Amino acid sequence: MNYLRPERLDALARDYALGLMHGGARRRFEQVLRASRAAELAVLVWQERLAALAAPVPPLQPSPAVWERLEARLQPAAAVAPPASSRWAWLGNILSGRALGGALAGLLIATVVLRQEPGLVGLEPARESLPASYVGLLLDNAGKPTLLASSRRHGKQLTVKMLQPIQIPAGQQATLWALPKDGAPAFKVGVIPAQGTATLPLAAPAEKLFFSVARLAVTYESDANASAPAPAVVLQGHCVKLW
Amino acid sequence: MDEGNQELARLLGRVALRDQAAFRALYQATSAHLLGLAYGILERRDRAEDVLQEAFMNVWNGAAGYNPAMATPMTWLINIVRNKAIDKLRVGKAERASTVALDDEAYAIADEAEREPQRLMQAGLERAKVNTCMAQLGASQRQAIALAYYKGLVHTEIASALDAPLGTVKAWVRRGMDRLRVCLEQAGVTA
Repeated sequence: MNYLRPERLDALARDYALGLMHGGARRRFEQVLRASRAAELAVLVWQERLAALAAPVPPLQPSPAVWERLEARLQPAAAVAPPASSRWAWLGNILSGRALGGALAGLLIATVVLRQEPGLVGLEPARESLPASYVGLLLDNAGKPTLLASSRRHGKQLTVKMLQPIQIPAGQQATLWALPKDGAPAFKVGVIPAQGTATLPLAAPAEKLFFSVARLAVTYESDANASAPAPAVVLQGHCVKLW
Repeated sequence: MDEGNQELARLLGRVALRDQAAFRALYQATSAHLLGLAYGILERRDRAEDVLQEAFMNVWNGAAGYNPAMATPMTWLINIVRNKAIDKLRVGKAERASTVALDDEAYAIADEAEREPQRLMQAGLERAKVNTCMAQLGASQRQAIALAYYKGLVHTEIASALDAPLGTVKAWVRRGMDRLRVCLEQAGVTA
């Protein structure tokens, strides 16, 4: 069955959004959703329409116990440090048998930063391992860590944190590019600030965009619509998977 | 995005940064509405409250994945709650003692809303428009859609609840949703 014929897709998206699919049909369509941007959009459109149907539903005040249980779960083990062995186990797994070269230093620094700023990738304080994410640490031409980029594996936004300010020439934009390892053309990720943090929306889940990306780079672009990076690279570094 | 949704989007952004005060504000602003939806599907307060709690844990852990360009915050929240409620409903189906009555019971839930104090003008207006559009559908179309959306039933269950052939039910849903879509778009309810 070709799920992606427009009329068929619209009907499937409607049934999925309405909750009419179950069992195998639901699972199969969810596979299609993960693979197809068109299918995802069709469902989003129906979900937005259907949200209007929720308006007439009478509200029901939850009992106070619901919030109390939630609050208790937000910080259950926050005060209890996880055992050191398991805390670092994920790092050992990543490092064993892999020559990461420059990325190693980047990962270590990224780890320190992530541990200090768990909100950067939405970590739970008590969680023992980092969630599956893409992380990039970009160095300036003097080798100093300058930009930390992170995105959850299935997330649709990239958080950028400037570890030191950069001097963006007037009239230009500091643009972040992703460089696929298979030699495919670089693609633009977004525009970054001179300092502080920023959240860049991604056109697709990080997994889809960064799966084959080996390196990230920043250039100064005077043309906001530039389709390829300028030759002079200002920052660059590895893009690594944290899982 | 209207003002209310903009505020919810701002709160979700804070929640992604682990801001517990923002999480509490988000919960206070939306939990009663979301519990109403879950209760409509599960018909038991304890199960609906379990769903609400799990949904908000998902929100706490997954707020960073919310993309304002793709959905309004309320739609995003509703999707989480409905999916969880429907999952729970289907898991617990065997335990359910009775089937859905044959009358217009499902839609009666929506009618009750008319008696609710309308706390927000916008919500009240939208509610009235949705009710108007639902009322324009044929009774069978309306019942089929209400059983799917408010009760979480699938085609075969709707067919048995309304004592109609499966193909007929599918056509009711399809044509009803088409008419509803046009009506809501004309009323300016959906973007």
